[in-house]
Amino acid sequence: MITCKVCNNQEYLGALFCGECGSQIASASNERVNTLVYPNQNLALEVDFTQTIPKKLLEESTFLLYSTEREEVIEIPEQNEFTIGRFVEGQVITPDIDLNNYEAYDMGISRLHATIRIDPEKNNIFVVDLGSANGSSINGYEIPANSEVPLNHGDVLSLGKFIMKVILPQDMK
Amino acid sequence: MPDKTDFYSRLNIGTGASEEAIKKAYRLAARKAHPDVNKNDGATQLFLDIQEAYKILSDPNRKDDYDQGRDPHDSSSGIMTAVEYSQEALLKLEEPQVIYSLVDIISTKDELQKSDDLPLNITLVLDNSTSMKGPRLDILRTATKEIINDLGENDLVSVISFNDRAKVLLPSQSQPSDIQIETALNDLYAEGGTEIFQGLEAGYEEIRKHPTLNYVNHIILITDGHTYGDEDNCIALANSAADQDIGISGLGIGIEWNDEFVDQLCALTGGQSLFINDHKRVKEFLEHSVASLKEAFSRRLTLEITPAPGVTMLSAFRILPEAIPLPLQEKFSLGILKKHKPHRVLFEFLVNPIPEKIDQAVIASGEFVIKKKIRDQIIPFTLERMITPDPESLEPPATEIFKAISHLTFYRLQEKAQQDVTSGNPGTAYQRLLNLSSHLMAKGEDALAKIAMNEADYIKSHNNFSPIGKKQLKYGTIRLLLPDIT
Repeated sequence: MITCKVCNNQEYLGALFCGECGSQIASASNERVNTLVYPNQNLALEVDFTQTIPKKLLEESTFLLYSTEREEVIEIPEQNEFTIGRFVEGQVITPDIDLNNYEAYDMGISRLHATIRIDPEKNNIFVVDLGSANGSSINGYEIPANSEVPLNHGDVLSLGKFIMKVILPQDMK
Repeated sequence: MPDKTDFYSRLNIGTGASEEAIKKAYRLAARKAHPDVNKNDGATQLFLDIQEAYKILSDPNRKDDYDQGRDPHDSSSGIMTAVEYSQEALLKLEEPQVIYSLVDIISTKDELQKSDDLPLNITLVLDNSTSMKGPRLDILRTATKEIINDLGENDLVSVISFNDRAKVLLPSQSQPSDIQIETALNDLYAEGGTEIFQGLEAGYEEIRKHPTLNYVNHIILITDGHTYGDEDNCIALANSAADQDIGISGLGIGIEWNDEFVDQLCALTGGQSLFINDHKRVKEFLEHSVASLKEAFSRRLTLEITPAPGVTMLSAFRILPEAIPLPLQEKFSLGILKKHKPHRVLFEFLVNPIPEKIDQAVIASGEFVIKKKIRDQIIPFTLERMITPDPESLEPPATEIFKAISHLTFYRLQEKAQQDVTSGNPGTAYQRLLNLSSHLMAKGEDALAKIAMNEADYIKSHNNFSPIGKKQLKYGTIRLLLPDIT
């Protein structure tokens, strides 16, 4: 059997898609998986961040999260998978990115709100909402919990009420 | 060792064996060779060889061909089949695995001269229950009239109206005059309930007034209502229609009609079923149906498929010419065979663990039967794959089949969401539709994605599908299955 990475459903070997959640099951195709393109709503804010983001950062990173309110880049760890949330005293599993500096509680961010996964080979970025209390959305569209949803350059990712812009420096040209 | 190509020796009988003797010999041989009993190498192949021999020898026409030294499979014709698989090879595995096959059949150019060029024999079975009142019936009248005027001089047409009972408005004939059409359609007014069987039966009788052998026979059903209590009769009628090469296509208008039921009727005969919410599109549907029938190369195409021992067929879906889920059986009616245009079926098979020793396995064997005026044409095919121990060596599947399976997954998701709701899990249905929506969005199907998203919200608040959204999602995902070829 083969396990669906997104919903843990078991499928027979040879299956190309998960019958439960519809996600593509690993390595079925050489083609780059098209990431989700949501119609850009008003929320997909056009922000000129070239002034506020250091050039060096844009040149060296593959992926940035940008707080539109603070007009600054959110610090992210250099790893291919990390969690975002709100650290609370005594919490057993802590998020890799703690958003307490951004008034996380008032913004409705859960302790473990979402996971970001980067596939460096195909240059795909995915977000998974970890069943957060207030949900997550991309460009205003609520995304399902526990499902891998691809991110594109320019997407506006909201966790609860907290808004970030997704920047993929490679796709900027 | 007997000659493998000799069908008689495969069954261990002489060439003069009687029908009864052939049957007996087949039973004996098949029992001995069945892989459940016979654990020797090559038992499966032996079993299939015996099946093939019996298939030929038990059919008087084909036996005659074989006895006279002709190819009983008649493969010299201008009909081509092609198969694409989801995997280049089966994996040597101690657990079951899934493999998909996309089977195509197409008539090639050379064969065109030999086509029967059959005139049509169609009947329009029109719902005139109370709910059709007003614009729906008005549009139906105009569309019917235009369609009849467009028919060729040898085409036959009849018109039936039905509510709780059926009325033959226009008896089967070719080229009715304007006055005849006008008079017939004036009799089309709205009253009463919907009993589909009444209409179907009357249409069926009209078609059978002429020998079905000489025509492309089709019942076109247009309804907006839910039929109650006569479903079994309708199914029985669809089955006998299929046996007599009569197809049924259905168009449902609005939200009331019973889509599962009409789908089933149409699938049994190889027809298509469609849904429109806007009655203005009736004409489009009628034109499409008639134009499609006019492309017939043969009045009927059937497909018979026998999975090899150890293989189970999980699903079958006709992709071309119109997408429709097929009932899970071993013999399918695929409707008419069109000139030049491929017919395509997607099969999903579950293959049992593969023993160490073999390096090639048969998944299934089957044959297409093309109904012809003189003699039916039979095109056999075998689905088989090499076996590899190394999963890494496999190339990813070709685009065409990958796309088909991807779209089939969408169809299944909405189907499962319906089951979720039926079994009292609207929460799961909600989640599933959100997933469906994001997958659709990723494929650029924004409109359908939005419908899925709205439907998810509707389920959240109502714990059930909206009647319109349910149909939109189903027929929307079915439509995706059609590849973009012209």
